[in-house]
Amino acid sequence: MTALAFLAMAAPRGGSEACARAIEAARAGDLAAFETVMRQYERMVLVTALRLLGNVEDAQDASQEVFLRLYRNLNKVEAAGNFSGWLYRVTVNVCHDMGRKRTVSVPMEDGGMASAADDPQASATGAERQRVLRMSLRMLSEKERAVVVLRDLEGLSTEEVARALGSSEATVRSQISKARVKMRDFVERYFRRRV
Amino acid sequence: MNCGDWEERIALYAGGDLRPEEAAGLERHLAECAGCQLLLSGLRESLRLLREAHAEPVEEAHFTAVRARVFAELERGRWPLWRQVWVYGLAAAAMALLLLAVRPKAHNRIAVVTPAPVLTAAPAPPQPQTVRQSVAPRHRKPRPKPAAEAERPAEPLVVKLLTDDPNVVIYWITESKGD
Repeated sequence: MTALAFLAMAAPRGGSEACARAIEAARAGDLAAFETVMRQYERMVLVTALRLLGNVEDAQDASQEVFLRLYRNLNKVEAAGNFSGWLYRVTVNVCHDMGRKRTVSVPMEDGGMASAADDPQASATGAERQRVLRMSLRMLSEKERAVVVLRDLEGLSTEEVARALGSSEATVRSQISKARVKMRDFVERYFRRRV
Repeated sequence: MNCGDWEERIALYAGGDLRPEEAAGLERHLAECAGCQLLLSGLRESLRLLREAHAEPVEEAHFTAVRARVFAELERGRWPLWRQVWVYGLAAAAMALLLLAVRPKAHNRIAVVTPAPVLTAAPAPPQPQTVRQSVAPRHRKPRPKPAAEAERPAEPLVVKLLTDDPNVVIYWITESKGD
């Protein structure tokens, strides 16, 4: 339930009236109004970028770029309704561009695998489980990671994910089912569980 | 339909993404298949662990840092427009001064050269005069022309200006009325 509450906090849906007014004022050049908009959506953007990129420094760089693009494109962004979707789309695109510029490495740690093999019956600690789950997300392709982050972590519907990523709902469903199976297989192999 | 065919539907079902009509068929299969039940429980567990792993709150300092960087960039972006106006204005003034400075003057390095044929190839001006003179109507007096002008065709004068920059040469072409 904590995770779901966090998800609810992370992604404000649509735009309230106050936010719409702030966007209008920001379009007119009011930086204070733009800061209001930023404060409302910064958590959503930074957390999504962090989940996509895996480290805080890159996520901060990506968030900065997202909000600069927002400022430059305020006239093109709808004041309400699809504002979150626009932000998600730009965040995914910026993270994708950043991912291309840096070497992507899957943090496969042989030491961890060996310890599981030595004592397969031992239950993993919470920290270990979290590390493995983060690893499982990193081993997905960029598109699979994006759909998992938006659907399973940000809580968007498959339709909203499809709009944010500019693809069809059928494609999103296919990608997300494959990604979930891959992650489950990875976790199962890591902890030496067999079906 | 074997269990491998159900895998995609089970993965969607684990995240609540299976359509109701498809979910009914899957649930009937799950009631009879232990292997698929285990797959479903494994998928649900990995989703739960994934959400737990990413549920850590992000420190407020990170948001503050992003805000500061964005506004620093926006403030930097606001100034160049005025700076550019100022700089371009100065540049225009400097260019005007430079053009005034490189105006051809007597004491500057000016070499009056005999124009090369390609530069000074001018149409033969006497033609119209010749024709006019030859077909001068009887009823009209030809206009008197200065003798010097009638005798000497106007040749363009080309002045080649050398500047301090060897890559910049200014050609000043003018009509010479005769000195």
